[in-house]
Amino acid sequence: MEVTVLVHATDQAFRILEEARKRSTEILDAAARLTAETQSLRQKKVQAMFKGARQTKVEAIRFVATFLIMFAFWLFLSGHYDFFHISLGLICCGLVSHASYDLLFANPRQGDMWVIVKRFILYIPWLFYQIALSNLHVARLALGPRRLIEPKIIKFKTKLESDISLVALANSITLTPGTITIDIKDGVYYVHAISKKVAEDLMTGEMEDRIAHIFMEADHVYVQDVLDVAPIFGALK
Amino acid sequence: MMTKQSDDVIVKTLSRLLIPFMQIYALYVIAHGHYSPGGGFQGGVILAASLILLVITYGLDNTLRRMNEKLNVIMCSGGVFIYAGIGVLCLILGGNFLDYAKLSPLLGVGIAQARSLGILGVEVGVGMAVMAVMVSIFLDVATGGLPSVDALEKTSRDND
Repeated sequence: MEVTVLVHATDQAFRILEEARKRSTEILDAAARLTAETQSLRQKKVQAMFKGARQTKVEAIRFVATFLIMFAFWLFLSGHYDFFHISLGLICCGLVSHASYDLLFANPRQGDMWVIVKRFILYIPWLFYQIALSNLHVARLALGPRRLIEPKIIKFKTKLESDISLVALANSITLTPGTITIDIKDGVYYVHAISKKVAEDLMTGEMEDRIAHIFMEADHVYVQDVLDVAPIFGALK
Repeated sequence: MMTKQSDDVIVKTLSRLLIPFMQIYALYVIAHGHYSPGGGFQGGVILAASLILLVITYGLDNTLRRMNEKLNVIMCSGGVFIYAGIGVLCLILGGNFLDYAKLSPLLGVGIAQARSLGILGVEVGVGMAVMAVMVSIFLDVATGGLPSVDALEKTSRDND
């Protein structure tokens, strides 16, 4: 009788010890996990703070730029320059900038925006000249013999990368009489050309070079680049 | 179909550049409705068109992140409330429904000025209501009548 009680008691004691051991290991594990978690959380917080600060700055710049462009457009439209209408304009521009500041400048590159604008303005007269030339060519095709018209679809791979330069090239091609951009798929342009000369003009790639120059893409040497740099070299000498 | 993003880079980029200008033009039409042609309805429709263009080109989830349905419903009823509120306010002040001249002591300006401000307020209300109703009709058509969250889940399932 006593022996059974003793055995039972020892058994109980061992069980309690086992339980305690398990508990303590669990607690230790949990503690270790908690410290690791807090550490990683703290790291993440610090990273987020740095990243967040940079992101907020970029977003603020985009917001202000969108606001200024919208307000200029508002002043152009409005025509009433009294206090009431200007304040209405400020409210409306604030609303629109808040709603869509990330649309106008989806992937901004800071610093070279003015260069891009300047080069784009310089590009427009050249484009008009090309349009005039193609106009004459298409007029001759329309009036001349039929055999000169050879419609075909040409395909070329582009070196342009950003969406805005792809669109600028596509629209330049479409604006030029005789050629129409059908589609852009994975950096390949599908263009409908009305005659051989138009297609050959396009395949020389001058227009693409100029677009790449405007948006500063696809590193290549271009006459205008050399001319831009020349005064600096002169000053250094 | 409607809830997916367009994969045409030309359409996407151009609509991205165009939408802010559309929105400012819509607000201009609303805000100058008491001076020039246009007004609440036209401006509201242009505003709704900009959002519909966003749905067509950038997909439903992108649009709902900017403009969720709850806000849309609030604007829908809020616009009607502004319109009817201004009308009833004139009624309370002893005039007819939308008799803006009676607002002049409340606003502290002359009768002509009060009419102008009253019309502007009504147009803001109409613009909000029209925009919200147009967008909600379009969202209903685009999602096939499902609540938009369910529709998004369905498209993501279909894409998988």
